[in-house]
Amino acid sequence: MHKKINSKPTLTRRLVLIGGSILLLYPLLRFITHRVPRKPVTIKVTEPLKQDKFLVKDDFFIFAENERVWAVSRKCTHLGCRLNYKENEDILECPCHQSRFANTGLVINGPSKKQLKTYKVEKNTDPPYFIVSI
Amino acid sequence: MNWTTCLERLKKWPASQLIYDTKWGSWSLICLYISLISGIIVGLQYDLSEPFYSTAALDVLIPFGGYFRSLHFYSSQLFFLFAVIHYIVVFNKTESYSHNRRIMLVLTLPTILLLLFTGYVLRDDSTGSSAGIIAENILLAVPAVGAILNGLMFSITEHGMQRVYLHHVISFDLLLLILAWDHLRKNPVKVSHYPLLILLVLSLSIFIAAPIDPEELGRFYITGPWFFLGLQELLRYLPPFVAGVLIPGSFIMVLLMLSRSHRWFTRLLSFTCIWLLIYTLLSIIALITHG
Repeated sequence: MHKKINSKPTLTRRLVLIGGSILLLYPLLRFITHRVPRKPVTIKVTEPLKQDKFLVKDDFFIFAENERVWAVSRKCTHLGCRLNYKENEDILECPCHQSRFANTGLVINGPSKKQLKTYKVEKNTDPPYFIVSI
Repeated sequence: MNWTTCLERLKKWPASQLIYDTKWGSWSLICLYISLISGIIVGLQYDLSEPFYSTAALDVLIPFGGYFRSLHFYSSQLFFLFAVIHYIVVFNKTESYSHNRRIMLVLTLPTILLLLFTGYVLRDDSTGSSAGIIAENILLAVPAVGAILNGLMFSITEHGMQRVYLHHVISFDLLLLILAWDHLRKNPVKVSHYPLLILLVLSLSIFIAAPIDPEELGRFYITGPWFFLGLQELLRYLPPFVAGVLIPGSFIMVLLMLSRSHRWFTRLLSFTCIWLLIYTLLSIIALITHG
């Protein structure tokens, strides 16, 4: 006589399956989401400012006014596109959604709502003229 | 006049008869074959550590590089275009499909879009890199799981093109194969039956170059890929999660439910049409007002 095999998973089997899946998923999620801390980067700028006023680099702008020098990130705080400098208006504009910022990083108009990151700049009289820590 | 009568009348027009008689699914598959082969060829010269340089080098330095890049680009675009037409034309026939089979086939469409999108990003010119960064930030805006999703999908800021490349050449292709496998098995296509289409796609790429943005300073407007234009415009007015996830997600959800046997079929169909109409309008606005 054949015994009827119960093909429906029992509650214990289900719990083991779910628990096992979570146990497998946990290391996978931890692995994927872990962020290796970024090394602090210092960038040496060997070019002088254009018209003693500004300089555009890949990741930041350098501005100078009177004796003050500062660097502002080129990453738009809306969706991360790379900003450009509109020299005639002295503003920074995003090419993706046209958010506008003052050269200090403050928002002039959106869609961006947050101001830009600013970086520490060390000024020298000889090359490298600027050392920017980002 | 109901939906069936309307469709029957439409079918009687000579032009639409031609559309109904064309084997769009087979055309789509042929273009996929060309896209895969040209993709392998292009991939031999693509350098993940120098994405823009290697893409530009394909166009200007490598013999026939521009041709193969163009072939890969246009065959992929046609693959998507024909797949969409195929879906519309055979929509009525899908009534006989099981629910799961229909869902899997509808999901092939966003998967193809993801393949096209990652291709755009991989060229890393101003359009490509901006589109990638925007996609990354949209995913990061997803509550609770945004960082995990981004870690899985793009993570361009942290890992450059690594994940985008991985998904373009392996993951999304594999997903497409899984989703369409049963359909392809049941509807085999003989490549030798389509010499004209193959010749047309091969010749088209001789005359039309694939787009690439030259590096230029002071570029104040970037136009995204054509299928991304409406979304780009929406992101101007709405928060990234709403514009980038909820609105496109609602369209895909409705598309998954869309079947003539569904009790809300007319409402679902109206939603799909209105959604597409608004998206097209937004794309036109994006092109006209900012392009």
